[in-house]
Amino acid sequence: MRHHPRTGDLALAAAVLLPLVVALPRLGWPADDAGAWLAWVGRAAGILGLAMLLLAAATSIRVPGWDRPFGGLARLWRLHHALGFGAFVLLMAHALALALAAVPLGVPVAVEVLFPPLSRGPVWLGWLAWLAMLLFLAPTFGFFGRPRYQTWKRLHLLSAAALLLALAHALPLAGEAWPWWLLGLAGLAAIAWRKLFSSRARLAYRIEAVEPLARGVVELVLAPEGRRLVHEPGQFVYLAPLDEALSAGRGEEHPYTLASAPADECLRIGIKDLGDASHALQSVTPGSMVQVEGPYGDFFGRHLSRRHRLWLAGGIGITPFVGGARDLLARGAVEGQVLLIYLANRPERAYYLEELEAIAERLAGFSVVSHYYLERGALDAAFLAAHCPDVAEREIHLCGPPAMNAHLRRLLAGQGVPRSRIHSEVLDFL
Amino acid sequence: MNTVAYTAFVAFLSSVLTLVSIHALSSPDATVPGNPEAITREELARHDSAESCWKAIHGTVYDVTGFIPDHPTPAAVMLEWCGRDASQAWENKRPGRPHSSFAEGMLERFRIGLLVD
Repeated sequence: MRHHPRTGDLALAAAVLLPLVVALPRLGWPADDAGAWLAWVGRAAGILGLAMLLLAAATSIRVPGWDRPFGGLARLWRLHHALGFGAFVLLMAHALALALAAVPLGVPVAVEVLFPPLSRGPVWLGWLAWLAMLLFLAPTFGFFGRPRYQTWKRLHLLSAAALLLALAHALPLAGEAWPWWLLGLAGLAAIAWRKLFSSRARLAYRIEAVEPLARGVVELVLAPEGRRLVHEPGQFVYLAPLDEALSAGRGEEHPYTLASAPADECLRIGIKDLGDASHALQSVTPGSMVQVEGPYGDFFGRHLSRRHRLWLAGGIGITPFVGGARDLLARGAVEGQVLLIYLANRPERAYYLEELEAIAERLAGFSVVSHYYLERGALDAAFLAAHCPDVAEREIHLCGPPAMNAHLRRLLAGQGVPRSRIHSEVLDFL
Repeated sequence: MNTVAYTAFVAFLSSVLTLVSIHALSSPDATVPGNPEAITREELARHDSAESCWKAIHGTVYDVTGFIPDHPTPAAVMLEWCGRDASQAWENKRPGRPHSSFAEGMLERFRIGLLVD
């Protein structure tokens, strides 16, 4: 199912390589000596690094639906992170390789390549761009510990300055301007959209009910005030509550998975008390307004294979599967077989279980098994063999806390399940 | 990924500082004379061929004879400017675009004197 590269990945790879391919006839191939070779590497690293920096900006865009060719927003932002990382490393390699290439001409020449007279402005603009990159990437890469989210977000705005400085560095020095205009405008447009216009894409919903599911877990029921959100099961939204009585997180957006079926009139979101904002939402005032932006994500994938499915849920990670099960019920039929193994600490923490079991009773092909950690320890091969003997043949979706995901991936790999058949989406730091 | 980024950053900074330190600690370059030789326009004009090609760029004279075969453009382009003031060619590698700082560093290797009237 995942053996073919995604269309988004192919487009991104082509865009990364475009400026280098355009520049190749000018660059030629390096001569035999080390100096010429290093100079070539330095130029190529600069071209690739700048392309990655501009595309990192372009991939920071958040438009509902645009994330799916990349396998969901979580994955798109991992690509964004990887591009930023690549740009940072390559641009340092670019400066160093060009300087070292000039060493045969004497160390003073090499130093002057890096630090020329001020009259050669573009080179110094390159240094400023690198400095701006360093300032906004140091917290991202945790150079000095993990930053506070809001500080990190503010510092990340320096990326726009780095982008402009890097373009001002490259345009006077580069041979071909049009690829840089193209990628530069894409990057700047993405930043402008995020900071200036994205709030217009939010939909207004009213909190109809706050239903307690267990201690520290509620389900919000949201009724549309205007246009309804169109989504698929297992997708997530950014939710910004506007309730004035909230103790924290008012107007702040946080990602939550939808637990409702696409056909449902109201949106349903299961929320566990995991931080200040989700704690405050436990006692949000019914009748207050929220803004909903989305849908994002590609949890169940667009091209389901014909294999039977195994759903593995842990804790609040049950929510996309609740959405999936409610969707199966709304459709009234299951293609193949779906087995949901619900991993909880103890029976009181298995929220939604009654509803899921009721759905299983009504739908042939859908079944639910619960597994309690305090009774049996972590899920093991014997439990899998007893309840899902054909695990190696199934398409597997898993959602749960990171430690559980890691344990399950190891367990499944041990059962001969190829990685390409295990699907999960981790919503951290979005 | 974070560790690699940090390592690359430290390695880059160390390399640049090493280069700058070596430069600061080494004695002044003996190949560039403190009192450059004065070269007249007549003297410059005599070196106008592939056998001996001198060029004046912004008042400094360079002997680029040995570099002609290594220069990326065809030799004819280089030879056209031998024995003359080539500032204009230097500033227009492509129309409106000067040579790079890298090329500028390379040019220093061929410096032989200052142009006088």
